Amino acid sequence: MGASCKKYLNINTNPNQATSATPELILPQALTATASTLNVYNTYGAELVGYSANAGGYGGFGTSITYNFAASDFSANWSNTYDNLEDYQTIINETSTQLPAYGYFNAVARIMRAYDFQLLVDAYNDVPYTDALKGTDNLTPTYTPAATIYAGLADQLDSAIATINATTAATGVAISALGSSDVLFKSDMTKWKQFANTLKLRLVVRGGTKVSFKNTTFSSDGFLASDALINPGYTRDNNRQNPAWNNWGFAYTGGDANKAWIPSKFILAFYNGNKLQDPDRGAVAYYQFPSTGTNQLGYESVDNPKCPSGSFWYSGSERSGTAAGNSAGILKGPNAGYPVMLAAESYFLQAEAAVRGIVTGDAKTAFNNGVKASYAYLYMKPDGTGASDADLTSMVSGYQSDNSTSALVNFDLATTVDMQIEAIITQKYIALNYISSQESWNEYRRTGYPKIVNGSADAVQTFASTQSQSTRPDKLPTRIQYPSSEGSYNPRNVPKNISVFSSLIFWAK
Amino acid sequence: MRKFLSLLAVWACFCMSVNAQTKMITGKINDLTGTPIVNASIIIKGTHSGTTSDALGSFRLPAKKGDVLVISAVGYNPMEMKLGGQSDLALQLATGNKIMDEVIVTAGGIKSRRREVGTANTVIKATALTAGKAVNIASGLQGKVAGLNISGTSSGVNPNYRLVLRGQRSLTGNNQALVVLDNVIVPNALLAQLNPEDVDEIVVLNGSGAAALYGSQASNGAIIVTTKKGRKGAAEIHVANTTTIESVAFYPKIQKKFGAGGTAYGLDLNGNPLFNYLENQSYGPAFDGVKRPLGAPLEDGSQDSAVYAYNPGHFKFWQHGITNQSDFSLSNGDDNSTFYLSGQYSTTTGTTPGDHYNRATVRVNGTRKLGNKLNVVYNTTYTQNRYDITSQTGSMYSQMLNMPSNVDITRYKNWRTDKFANPNGYYNPWYQNPYFTADDYRSKQRNDYLTANIELRYTPVAGLDLVARQGIATKNNSYKNTIGAFKYTTYAKNTDQSSKSDISASVGDASTYNTELLTDAFLQYIKKAGDFSVNLIAGGQWRQDQAKYVAMSANGLVVPNLFNVSNGVGTPGVGESDFETRQIGAYGDVRFGYKNYLYLHGTARNDWVSILNPDNRTFFYPSVDLSFVASDAITAIKESNTISYLKVRGGWSKVGQVNLGYTTGDAPDYGAYYLVPTYSSTNQGFPYGNLAGYSVGNTLVSPSLKPEITKGYEVGFDLNLFKNRFVSNVTWYDTKTNNQTVNTAISNSTGFTSLRTNTGQTQSRGIELTAHMTAVQTRDWNVTVGGNYTYLDNKVNFISAALPNLSLSTYSSTAGSYAVAGKAFPVIMGYDYLRDPQGHVIVDHLTGLPTKADTISFLGNAVAKNRLSLDLSVSYRHFHLSALFEYRGGYKVYNSMGTELDWSGTGYRTAAYNRQSFVYPNSVYEDPNKPGSYIKNTTVAIANGNGNNGFWTDGINRDVTSNYVTSGAFWKLREASISYDIPTSVFGKSKIVKTATVSVQGRNLFMWLAKDNLYTDPEYSDAGNDSNGIGLTGLNQTPPSRFYGATISVTF
Repeated sequence: MGASCKKYLNINTNPNQATSATPELILPQALTATASTLNVYNTYGAELVGYSANAGGYGGFGTSITYNFAASDFSANWSNTYDNLEDYQTIINETSTQLPAYGYFNAVARIMRAYDFQLLVDAYNDVPYTDALKGTDNLTPTYTPAATIYAGLADQLDSAIATINATTAATGVAISALGSSDVLFKSDMTKWKQFANTLKLRLVVRGGTKVSFKNTTFSSDGFLASDALINPGYTRDNNRQNPAWNNWGFAYTGGDANKAWIPSKFILAFYNGNKLQDPDRGAVAYYQFPSTGTNQLGYESVDNPKCPSGSFWYSGSERSGTAAGNSAGILKGPNAGYPVMLAAESYFLQAEAAVRGIVTGDAKTAFNNGVKASYAYLYMKPDGTGASDADLTSMVSGYQSDNSTSALVNFDLATTVDMQIEAIITQKYIALNYISSQESWNEYRRTGYPKIVNGSADAVQTFASTQSQSTRPDKLPTRIQYPSSEGSYNPRNVPKNISVFSSLIFWAK
Repeated sequence: MRKFLSLLAVWACFCMSVNAQTKMITGKINDLTGTPIVNASIIIKGTHSGTTSDALGSFRLPAKKGDVLVISAVGYNPMEMKLGGQSDLALQLATGNKIMDEVIVTAGGIKSRRREVGTANTVIKATALTAGKAVNIASGLQGKVAGLNISGTSSGVNPNYRLVLRGQRSLTGNNQALVVLDNVIVPNALLAQLNPEDVDEIVVLNGSGAAALYGSQASNGAIIVTTKKGRKGAAEIHVANTTTIESVAFYPKIQKKFGAGGTAYGLDLNGNPLFNYLENQSYGPAFDGVKRPLGAPLEDGSQDSAVYAYNPGHFKFWQHGITNQSDFSLSNGDDNSTFYLSGQYSTTTGTTPGDHYNRATVRVNGTRKLGNKLNVVYNTTYTQNRYDITSQTGSMYSQMLNMPSNVDITRYKNWRTDKFANPNGYYNPWYQNPYFTADDYRSKQRNDYLTANIELRYTPVAGLDLVARQGIATKNNSYKNTIGAFKYTTYAKNTDQSSKSDISASVGDASTYNTELLTDAFLQYIKKAGDFSVNLIAGGQWRQDQAKYVAMSANGLVVPNLFNVSNGVGTPGVGESDFETRQIGAYGDVRFGYKNYLYLHGTARNDWVSILNPDNRTFFYPSVDLSFVASDAITAIKESNTISYLKVRGGWSKVGQVNLGYTTGDAPDYGAYYLVPTYSSTNQGFPYGNLAGYSVGNTLVSPSLKPEITKGYEVGFDLNLFKNRFVSNVTWYDTKTNNQTVNTAISNSTGFTSLRTNTGQTQSRGIELTAHMTAVQTRDWNVTVGGNYTYLDNKVNFISAALPNLSLSTYSSTAGSYAVAGKAFPVIMGYDYLRDPQGHVIVDHLTGLPTKADTISFLGNAVAKNRLSLDLSVSYRHFHLSALFEYRGGYKVYNSMGTELDWSGTGYRTAAYNRQSFVYPNSVYEDPNKPGSYIKNTTVAIANGNGNNGFWTDGINRDVTSNYVTSGAFWKLREASISYDIPTSVFGKSKIVKTATVSVQGRNLFMWLAKDNLYTDPEYSDAGNDSNGIGLTGLNQTPPSRFYGATISVTF
């Protein structure tokens, strides 16, 4: 063929989509996708761990109230996480040959990869890890045992911290700073290292003796002391709202979001005095508190309260969809950052680690910091402004005196390790309410806290569905099914005979 | 020569003086199938007086009693008849021995005599195509061609048709036949835009032998449409009007015993579930004929009600659709030119209330001789389509199923004025009033097609033609989809269980164009020397396809009823894409003939395409075929009284086809830009202000994609017996397609969701058989019966070790249509119950409940193995009756609407055990004492055979695909028509009216489905017209329809 023919035919360059992208362009999208993924996990956790119950006006809750999960239930957990993981893996692949110049991008992507993989393991136990994310090199990845993944993730976090340190120390090379690509810590590498440490702490605390970690010490950077929030610039616009607000608050057009769910009677008991008195957090977390509409999961009747526009998780008084959303609370507004990890979670992990001797430190201080951090997060508005330190301190002490006999609030009253763990996990359950619900579900399955009365019909005593088909004493499921796509496209490797009532995540009780 | 003779005859006619005994005789000449014979010669024996028949087979001739008329036409046995007293004749000519000399248009517009062609083909004449007065040519072709599977894959005012010849070859690429209109390759969609009345004939080339002249797209066979040309002689004007009524022919089978309510509302003393006036699910008590409230009381205190008894108004939502079609054509010509002009206007209202469609087409065709050596042909057609339809067919269907069957839906028509029909007062809080939905969710579409071609044919010396052609097919399309706002009253939002939420207005608007240019230049050389002949063609082809799509949308429209993108809140959604591809082909085609009975034909072509990498972009493919007319070559056969014609033929061919992207459908990308993975810039709301973000695409691309290669052979024979009263042809073929370009779903854990690669092989083999017998043939009567039969063994030989199966089209990545190695192509895969080795469902020995299998399994092949068409044609003088039946069988279909039916409790299955506890039929349970062996279950019953959360609504029923997989077998009365040629004498002595015909006709008049198919027409495809994932039906197709109407047509 002649040159003119070649020219005639060489027109296959894509004018519509990019065919390459730099780490600087992939990272902000990947972090934002993590926030969207977490919103999916939050919904899953909230349904399972008793934060939410079916609202009046809706039917068709099916497996959400029977727990007899099919492969299609919550399958977005799987697909969204692996999709997000591929973004991080691409950054890792693109940067691994460009160290130390792209060391920060490389390390951050590995930290987030560890974060995502823990989400998967905690939901599914064994998942493809070693063979995963290899594209055409492995189309049917094998499943790595969950405990092995945990150990591997802890190593990765150590190594990511080392990469950050090496990058910072490198001389004679132009280092690419994260810059505006970092929509999580705004290029603050110390916070990234603290985040990595805290993630490793979560792995070590949760994995416990069931995992052979290579190294259970933590770098000197310390643990996360502020809320880790992803915010690329969320705003009231098409596809640009905070994912939780978009899901449960209002559509950007002002239309109603999902109204099928309302708070459970079980969780309200931790605010309204049925179990604990917490008027300050109750009022900021819930609309119309203490008369917030509640239900017991599985109870379907005409007297079931309906979900108001904007939901009960948005406490603001501005209820017009086109104006609502500059509020403190759980749902704050369309432009609020999305929590990847609350400072409160970090403190409660530190408290538990101290109780168990994993780290040295004062469990009580960490516990109280956790409670205070929870108040601080809930009282923070979308723009980051919030209650003063003095106000927070007084609210926390009010909380302690309102519940002066409760070991769940006053750490000194928790005299045994079990009581301390119960206090820590129960406070974490309250702090993560409808924010990082999947973590509460993980902790319930690991520790059995918050305590429930097995088989009770009383909505305050258990969060299990009244229509539960679970065969367990607590009437709860133990896990969800692998998605059907694995049965279809990776049938040889996907673990078989998974029971949602008896197959346990490796760290579960 | 024939035309020359005819002209002489006409001239002679004018010269003759009409004497006293002579009167004007009129007549009409048909073949035995009722098709008019054009250009037949009618001469009075022993004179030069005569005429020829016109486009409708009609003629006028002055003659007198006792004259003998000699009627002859090429391809037919001549006939003589003595005139009695008649003045209006209905004549029929039998197909003659010359049939093999009939000229048909084959690939590239090359005219060949039948005897020369070594591959299977079918010719459909205009009258056969339009007998049923189908608006769409595809539906007019249904059942008429062996080996051609035409499925109406959707419903609505202008349904889609999928045309597949000889089964599917490509796993995920295009398998539809190539459509060629007047020598120009056009998008398949154009078939639906063509005025059927403009079609002169359609030639179907079943195999891939045509690929040399059309390029690789013809590997799926070709449908060659030739439109009418003007005729020499006096101007002829044809006008016709057809009115067709469409009515729903089949509704899903529903239970008629139980109404709204369910166990969620408690049980009565007898343990039966309670009634509830809000519930959409029909799991309430048995109908008792008592009037009961319907929905919550309205704000004014009034409350809707309905008698609690089955009401057949359930499906009356779908109304009669009406199509009105007017045709006009004008034909003229002289020695140097011909001219054909036509117009058609049709308006259609659908069975869905409010759906409208109209189409207008104009066509100008012409030929012109310039001197002795240059001939010019031009064809132009312009079609404009206007749709105004609802965008919510599927949800409206679902709304109707979620309506207890005591409710008469037609009461809710006037939702603007009737408080119980208004969304505020409509009784069902979860499912909208379908009449409201139909009005509120609209799609207005316009698409305009311009198709044109010019051909210059230069003949410097006899036998040598130089031909140049330029074709264009272009489409301009735009649509506006709108959703109107609805604000509910506070009362409506907060009454009882209401979950009514305000509807925010939105608009989506798009404009697109596609332009496909095709240039051909070739020479043809024909030479005959003694017993030998040669016909050589060599040429080149250039093709360029371009498309542009721009779409935008806005939500939360501020000013009511202003459906403009600028009227939204927030950033409008926008999208833009451009595509351009090119292809060059160089081809040769040679046919050697020996003694008029042996023909060897070979082709070769090389393509260069822009859409593959330079290393893989060129590919070569040859073909060869042989035709042997035994009835001419072998004396014993030639002299046989039984065998009138026998041709034996066979061929082998290889074709490459690049199957990337979308080459068919409404928005083709022509396979451009598929070689490199992409990154998306719009995920997760990006960009946020100045902050851009890109996500890694989810499709992997293997490094060097290649064309798919199809190789195969066909052998067959054409056999006519008993002086051509029995006509038949039989073909056996076998093709294999390698290097499948596959876009398959893969495990998310790879980091991706799909992979594009070359792997796998499919095979398609089968028998095509056509036979017709003229059972009765007298002067007044003619009865012909016959049909065609297709056996198709279409399978996937292998895919790849890493991909055991490949999803083509699925519902939430599970149940659906799959390609599976070693199985038919495609198959239905989905969940089944765990079964013992004998196939009995294993139930739990305590609960009686079956267990859903962990993984999906094979549930049946989705491609019809056997297809049979039977046609009947009866003529009695001026009356003509024809009917066409079609059968398809040997395949399964997954009816996804079954899950919705069972959910809503209107499903027939849900009342199979009267809503009582029941023993799962044909079940076994594992012997508790002897694991691994099973005991027949006659005692362990499923406790909850009822209820909103009972067996029927639960995943254990609805998630099990096999519960809704049924036989796809059907018989349909595809077409039936009766026509009557009005004797022109009724129009008086004036010669203005040449012919007039009235007819009544119907299509899809009756449908007989397999007994287990409770749902819908198995011909539908929920995966869409262009997907290979056939075998799935759903709620997006309205119930199947029958069409019946009447036509009057007059020629002046």
